[in-house]
Amino acid sequence: MNATEAAGGAAEFVQRLRAGVNDGLDPMEAAERAAVALPKRLRDAVDRMASRLAGDYHEDEWGFDEEFAEAAYPLFEFLYDYWWRVETTGVTNVPAHGRGLIVSNHSGSLFPFDATMIGVGIMREHPLPRWTRPLVLNWAFELPFLSFFMRKVGGVPASPFNARRLLEQNHLVMVFPEGVKGTGKPFADRYRLQRFGRGGFVEVALRTGAPIIPAAVVGAEEIYPMLGQSRALARVAGAPFLPLTPTFPWLGPLGLIPLPSRWRIEFCDPVDLSEYGPEAAEDKALLFDVSERIRETIQSAVYENLVKRGSAFL
Amino acid sequence: MAAGGNRVVITGVASHWGSELARALARDPSVSYIAGVDVRPPEDDLERTEFIEADIRNPVISRILPGLDPDVLVHCGIVWYPEPDKPARSLHDINVIGTLQLLAAAEKCERLRAVVARGSAAIYGSEAAAPSFFTEDMARRYPLKTRFQRDIGELESYFDNFARRQGGITCTMLRFQPEIGPGLDQPLVSYLNLPVVPTQLGFDPRLQLIHAEDATGALAAAVANPVRGAVNVAPDGTISLTKILRLAGRPTLPIPHPVAAMLLGRLGRQLGAADLYSDGVLLLRYGRGCDNRRLKEEVGYRPRFDAEATVRDFVAKSGASRRLVSSVHPGHLARRAGSPL
Repeated sequence: MNATEAAGGAAEFVQRLRAGVNDGLDPMEAAERAAVALPKRLRDAVDRMASRLAGDYHEDEWGFDEEFAEAAYPLFEFLYDYWWRVETTGVTNVPAHGRGLIVSNHSGSLFPFDATMIGVGIMREHPLPRWTRPLVLNWAFELPFLSFFMRKVGGVPASPFNARRLLEQNHLVMVFPEGVKGTGKPFADRYRLQRFGRGGFVEVALRTGAPIIPAAVVGAEEIYPMLGQSRALARVAGAPFLPLTPTFPWLGPLGLIPLPSRWRIEFCDPVDLSEYGPEAAEDKALLFDVSERIRETIQSAVYENLVKRGSAFL
Repeated sequence: MAAGGNRVVITGVASHWGSELARALARDPSVSYIAGVDVRPPEDDLERTEFIEADIRNPVISRILPGLDPDVLVHCGIVWYPEPDKPARSLHDINVIGTLQLLAAAEKCERLRAVVARGSAAIYGSEAAAPSFFTEDMARRYPLKTRFQRDIGELESYFDNFARRQGGITCTMLRFQPEIGPGLDQPLVSYLNLPVVPTQLGFDPRLQLIHAEDATGALAAAVANPVRGAVNVAPDGTISLTKILRLAGRPTLPIPHPVAAMLLGRLGRQLGAADLYSDGVLLLRYGRGCDNRRLKEEVGYRPRFDAEATVRDFVAKSGASRRLVSSVHPGHLARRAGSPL
């Protein structure tokens, strides 16, 4: 749609609207009729919006709203392409269909964008793009706006029950076994993976027969360099921890703008656990063993990609 | 099944759910006798149902119930909201003491082979961090926060104890998600029918409302095929509050949630929710989803309406919604222009 065409359409729209109102139509109906003058793309958008406002949109049983996610996607794509210049490798290790459990390292203190970027990486680079369902720290669901934004773009409260149900429905699930310990690690330890919880993700993978795809993300460590934590502020906000960065909270909302570091994401070879069978989920030693093996895989991939990336910002 | 058919006794028969169940059972030829117990007679005449005026809180029930000689006892006397002759302050007594008395009476019924109770999914609570779908073994994962939750928790423990001691009796605790239907006089329905609906700013909970028809269907199915333990009664899928209100064409008034808690509480009392308003505030902030596989696979009841269809049916039957803006495509407009308005 070029500018002159749009301007012409708008002018005709106003003319028709005025004529309609003069003919005694109510303004809403006059606007609907005058809309014929508008370019098709704009009409489609208005139509879609009207349908959504009338409740005609789809959310799955988890509250994932694909249309909403698609609308938010360009912003994430901008971050992926221009802000963080993400390079993704090994994307074909992600299954094109059926269940799969992506396990990744976690960092980024204030707002862990790593989940978002892994998701965009798969949508952008995979021959058969698909949405991922990240398990999100529960605290996010206590917060106004973030709570429904998260679920609408595919986030699900972190619970083994949710992971299992999603995998049984053949979704692509993403977990961060480091959890809050990962996002809240001190800047000096930024590339070192924390303990991997209690191996719950291995248990879920065993029970559902889902392959585990270890993923390493480098770059999220620098977006909000954590200088320290404020326990007092965290208590006021009810947050699990509250990082202090060079810009947050000193610059207020501006402090929420992440630094433009350079990122790499690598999907490692999938780990198929189906040979063990679902009963093996009871075997605690096996859980810790596999969990530790996957942690090591991701750790060495993080170091490799760190070297490949070179400078953090340029 | 005993020769000569099932004898069924329903407590709380004057309530909407009790009456509807009695109607459904009256159509079932395998049920030979239906008795309904309550403190007041049902509003409409129920054919084939003998009404017995009694209060389950009164020990007299121990003499009445064995005389009725039931095969199946259906406890519909668990009250969610105040009803005529059941004011807010008596809910705790009716729910907890009433259930205790009723179970004591049930121990004396010789033929009794099943007890089915119409309980509530409120026992799971509404929590931000909760699993998106509660299964039956997840009750009491979180502290019971509200008065109603504690009552439900207490009566469920009595119920579990009874089930453990009376191994020969199958005890089914049905955990219902809130029910909606156009004719239902209930706080949640009144809430959805408000001219402007207050919501909590920045929250859009996932809800499961059960269609009145499915609620009765599930109860009747459990009477015909009781299973041991708890069973969730919930539709397939979930629906968000925003979507419900948009489908219903209701304007909303989002209020920051610390203030909304107070305001919704006051509103809840006006809508007749009594003590249940705090459950309502949490439900309308964090929502709740229940897994219904046990209902479908073991009880053998498949809800006819999923979460969205329930709401669409409710909206269609309680007056059509009006779209603020309809389609702006020429074809659609032509269709509209051609239709008599």
